[in-house]
Amino acid sequence: MASSEYSEEPAADPLPGDEPRPSGEDEFRLIADSAPVPIWVTRLDRTRSFVNRAYLDFLGVDYPAALVFDWRTIIHPDDRDRIVAESIAGEAGLQTFTLEGRYRRGDGSWRWLRSVSQPRRDARGRHIGFIGVAHDVTEAKEAELALREREAQLSAFVNQATAGFAQTDLSGRFTLVNDRFCAISGWTRAELLNRTMQSITHPDDLGRNQKLFDRAIRERVPFVLEKRYVRSDGEIVWVNNSVAVLRRETGEPYGVLAVTIDVTDRRANEMALRKSEESIRLAVECAGMATWELDLASMSGVWSANRFDLLGLERHPAGEGSVDDWLARVHPDDREAVRAAAFGCFDDSSPFTIEYRIHRADTGEERWLQSHGSCIEQGEERARRFVGVSFDVTTRKRAEQELRASEARFRTIFEQANDYLITCDLDHRITSVNPALLAALGYAEDQLVGRSIGDFMDADQFAQSREMLRRKLIEGGTTRHTIRVRSSDGRELVWEVNSQLTSDEEDGTVTGLHAIARDVTEAKRFEAHQRLLIDELNHRVKNTLAIVQGIAQQTFRNEEDMAAARAAFEGRLAALSEAHNLLTREHWSPVSMARIISDAVAPHGGGEGRFLLDGPDLALAPKTAISLALAVHELATNAVKHGALSVAEGAVTIRWSRDADRLLLEWTERGGPPVRHPERRGFGTRMIERGLAAELSGSVTIHFDPEGLRCTVEAPIPSAAA
Amino acid sequence: MSRLAGIRVLIVEDEPVVAMCLEDMLMALGCSVIGPAGRLAEGLALARDAQADAAVLDINLAGERSDTIAAALRARGIPFVFASGYGNAPAGFEEGVPLLGKPYREADLAAALERVLA
Repeated sequence: MASSEYSEEPAADPLPGDEPRPSGEDEFRLIADSAPVPIWVTRLDRTRSFVNRAYLDFLGVDYPAALVFDWRTIIHPDDRDRIVAESIAGEAGLQTFTLEGRYRRGDGSWRWLRSVSQPRRDARGRHIGFIGVAHDVTEAKEAELALREREAQLSAFVNQATAGFAQTDLSGRFTLVNDRFCAISGWTRAELLNRTMQSITHPDDLGRNQKLFDRAIRERVPFVLEKRYVRSDGEIVWVNNSVAVLRRETGEPYGVLAVTIDVTDRRANEMALRKSEESIRLAVECAGMATWELDLASMSGVWSANRFDLLGLERHPAGEGSVDDWLARVHPDDREAVRAAAFGCFDDSSPFTIEYRIHRADTGEERWLQSHGSCIEQGEERARRFVGVSFDVTTRKRAEQELRASEARFRTIFEQANDYLITCDLDHRITSVNPALLAALGYAEDQLVGRSIGDFMDADQFAQSREMLRRKLIEGGTTRHTIRVRSSDGRELVWEVNSQLTSDEEDGTVTGLHAIARDVTEAKRFEAHQRLLIDELNHRVKNTLAIVQGIAQQTFRNEEDMAAARAAFEGRLAALSEAHNLLTREHWSPVSMARIISDAVAPHGGGEGRFLLDGPDLALAPKTAISLALAVHELATNAVKHGALSVAEGAVTIRWSRDADRLLLEWTERGGPPVRHPERRGFGTRMIERGLAAELSGSVTIHFDPEGLRCTVEAPIPSAAA
Repeated sequence: MSRLAGIRVLIVEDEPVVAMCLEDMLMALGCSVIGPAGRLAEGLALARDAQADAAVLDINLAGERSDTIAAALRARGIPFVFASGYGNAPAGFEEGVPLLGKPYREADLAAALERVLA
């Protein structure tokens, strides 16, 4: 504060300290000393000619020290350079100047001083120095600083990122908005300050908002509102606004302040959660899952509607259902187990999962249910709730029963099948075999399972099996092949194998193969035998035809009497046929010589005792038997036509014997007409003398003795094995 | 007269009636017949010694294969024809030798013999 009224000052240059005080200025001195603020007077050389009492008090020194005190030493370091510079500038300007800064009092405390220095002039107007006064502005300065700090804090708060701040006047026009509010609302500050809060509020929310806004101003009650702003780009933003009315000290409202939080995400989350809960509820219902809650005190609780449906009960309007309602529907055989499980849960909170049968209340139908129950602890007060879910598992149960039955059937087939069942992995390792296969190969199960099928067959057969697998892996389907395997005692068995790949039910990957095999060793042997038999039959037929051809050729060659030739041919065929009959009866095994002869003569029998057969029972090979039969037929035919049997009294003796390894046979006719040597030798003679001889590798001779024809045979004992 | 006239043919056939038939056929063709031999030993002896120009050889002689006789004939350069009641040639049947099926036809017999003698 300048004191221009003290313009007079002595022009003397007294020494500091001992300079007499200006006596003519006692009154000024008195006044100056009584002033509560430091006052000082300087000369042109900047030395002080006067300081007042307050000045001394501030410095804490005596008068002489104060006159020469270097005031620069007590300036706060942060202010010093500035103040010194301003001081020099101020003095040089010869104008009144003000300095402000912190100075240290004599007691050590820092004080804000605001000093005003004013030039002093003498009577002639010459500048002679300065007079200064300093006000202690510490309190004001601190208050200002505190205010500035608070403002900075408020500003920081207002502009901080999470919350938006918007101030409007009572009509709703924006008067102040922070950056965050602009970001949330989607409008620039400039746009907002030209708008009202009503203009950016979603029309559907405005009515309620306006009502609350008006009431807040009228009744001075703050409110919280969740509403939508329409952003400048047309997008919707959900906000939670906390709104308060601004009032002057007089209580008169002048504006409204809203703290705005963007809750779009939260709303979306809530919406998603609601949707999710709804989805779960729907899913639970769609899955046929019925839920229940139980209050232990009343032993009843709330059931979902479909829980009533599940049990075939009427739906209770409030969804109330009791444990007993439920247990009453449970099949009597299952009821105790169900009760025990449920009450176990009620008693010690152990969760349960049970499957049991019920009888529906409405239809009486038996159904299978699965129920899960567990306890939910509600904090310390031990108010426990029990919740559960039940669903109908009848279909699954029946499928399981069906599966078990099917497995049992399969097991039975597997165990009892005569066919061999075997499964292998893709490396030909045996994974399972049935008892029939073990029996066939003569191994125990643990000797087979885990080993390669290649261990039980020759290398070429294993190669064939591998090839079959390779083909199935490429083409799929079933392969059927015949393979030779080795039993434990080294026998070779022929198996016919049908196999196909097995695959995983879930993903369809090939896991191995299973095969059904059948022993065709016997069948193969039989087949080979059949083939042999057929070949043999063919051979015999061909041979027989050749014989017939030979007989026909011989019979008809030179014969002029066709009727007689035909009769002869028929007789020979009949003899051949008879021999075949016998051989067939005996399965083409060796036949009795007596039998062959008696069959051959039988058609020519003509009565009791005409033929006398006498000889040991020798076995003849089939081929030999035919030749003998044909030869005997020729002899008998001749006997009937020309010999002993052409008359009633004649007879034929056929006698044979063995002499060591020789067969001797004699055909002797007696009682017939006198024998004459035939004029020509026909088939008969040739057949007997050459055919039979060749057959027997012996000699056959016909003797035309006058008393009766005689035929002798001498040959090795025929080999029946031929 | 057939081209086979005067040819000496050995017959090895174990069925007497068939052998006789064959004999008659060959004679009708103007051949002279050696045998017939009905057993392996007999056939083998003739195959080794007889002055035959050709032979008709039954493959199966009372259950025995006549391969040794065939070998003996081949050793002497005597051409031959196989005869068999089997429909087709048995295993080990020699290539290039005609097979005469039973029952025989004279024409087939003549053709087969002409072929081996050619």
